[in-house]
Amino acid sequence: MHIVDGALSMPVLVAGSAIAVAGIGIGLKQMPIEKIPAAGVLSATFFVASLVHVPIGPSSVHLIVNGLAGLVLGWAAFPALFVALLLQAVFFGFGGLTVLGVNTVDIALPAVAVHYLCRPGIVRGSPQVAAIWGAIGGALAIALTTVCVGVALAFSGEGFVAAAKLVFVAHLPVMAIEGVLSGAAIHLARRVKPELFEAFSPRPQGA
Amino acid sequence: MTRTDTISALLLALALAVGAASPAAAHKVVAGAYASGDRIEGEVGFSDGSMARDVAIEVFAEDGRRLGETRTGADGTFVFVPTERVVHLFRADLGGGHVAEVRLEVEDLPQTAAAPAATTASPATPSTTPAVAPANAAAAPVGVVPAGIGDLQKAALAEAVRNELKPLRREIIALKEKNDLQSVLGGIGYIVGLFGLWFFIAGRRLAKRSAG
Repeated sequence: MHIVDGALSMPVLVAGSAIAVAGIGIGLKQMPIEKIPAAGVLSATFFVASLVHVPIGPSSVHLIVNGLAGLVLGWAAFPALFVALLLQAVFFGFGGLTVLGVNTVDIALPAVAVHYLCRPGIVRGSPQVAAIWGAIGGALAIALTTVCVGVALAFSGEGFVAAAKLVFVAHLPVMAIEGVLSGAAIHLARRVKPELFEAFSPRPQGA
Repeated sequence: MTRTDTISALLLALALAVGAASPAAAHKVVAGAYASGDRIEGEVGFSDGSMARDVAIEVFAEDGRRLGETRTGADGTFVFVPTERVVHLFRADLGGGHVAEVRLEVEDLPQTAAAPAATTASPATPSTTPAVAPANAAAAPVGVVPAGIGDLQKAALAEAVRNELKPLRREIIALKEKNDLQSVLGGIGYIVGLFGLWFFIAGRRLAKRSAG
């Protein structure tokens, strides 16, 4: 799910970096201090998850778990995922430094979207209902990420439908796996630590 | 303190994820190109070992001029016959944001790809060979073969050396792509450190605010 250096045109890179900077700014500003350790752990989870590969046909795709990060962190997913992406680029050569902004947006923006769409269901319902919403969130984040990648590629000249379809189909198994994973994680968290979601509800933060 | 329980639960999940991770496979495009006789051979594939079959490779000069194109075969290798002594850029678009680019410097070009087009593709021409021979380390021994050996043997020898080197090249590419546990743990260490630093700064700001 990492777009590599040289695949995108200059305007896309600039626009992606600008959105990423804005998102990171919002994330840093909104972050309550007690959320920072959780952001670190989810950042590390994302960093490692990309090494878990799901073989599909001749190629393979890796886990992303941006849905889970978004559900727990909200806008704070931007700085958390940015740090992980930066380190992946440096350590593993995934993606690259010039496309870092675009990759951050592709992965963190769906996380934030999922946060707003699925979070109410997780906070309010029973643990079972929360698990279903978590599963939906996990799968939806991947689907939205493939759409974002498709858009980024389309603006760089590749046909949107073809590019998006290729990425989307390749990630269907990942959606299934991440749906189950996120659902299970949310279910567990709701049963064992319900305050994980209550404590992290956005609150006004004095500047 | 319930917070620490949460964190430790998440850390446990993280540890499990590390255990499940297979460091060998990474979904990343890898490509290499090297001189082989009077041609350039190369290969394109994914870092998990699968090769890119039947993919168009476009060849550009450094100034963006298009020199030609070729396709990879079933094993992900491609062959390109250079016609100019310029830096060659090989670009393969595998779709879905996967692009591979390989840069081949002038000194790594096949020795026969000399600038004057008249003498290209004739390895026997003595005037072109000595001028560029020392640059290419892999082919250097061929240049110092005693005069008693004919061009045919020279070519056969070069071919044999190339075939011997092929698995080595592959292994080097594979080695470059290896994500070992050290870098995984190093990365996690960086994340812990960065977020710890952030936590520290945020905590200090909080303490200052409550004090002032």
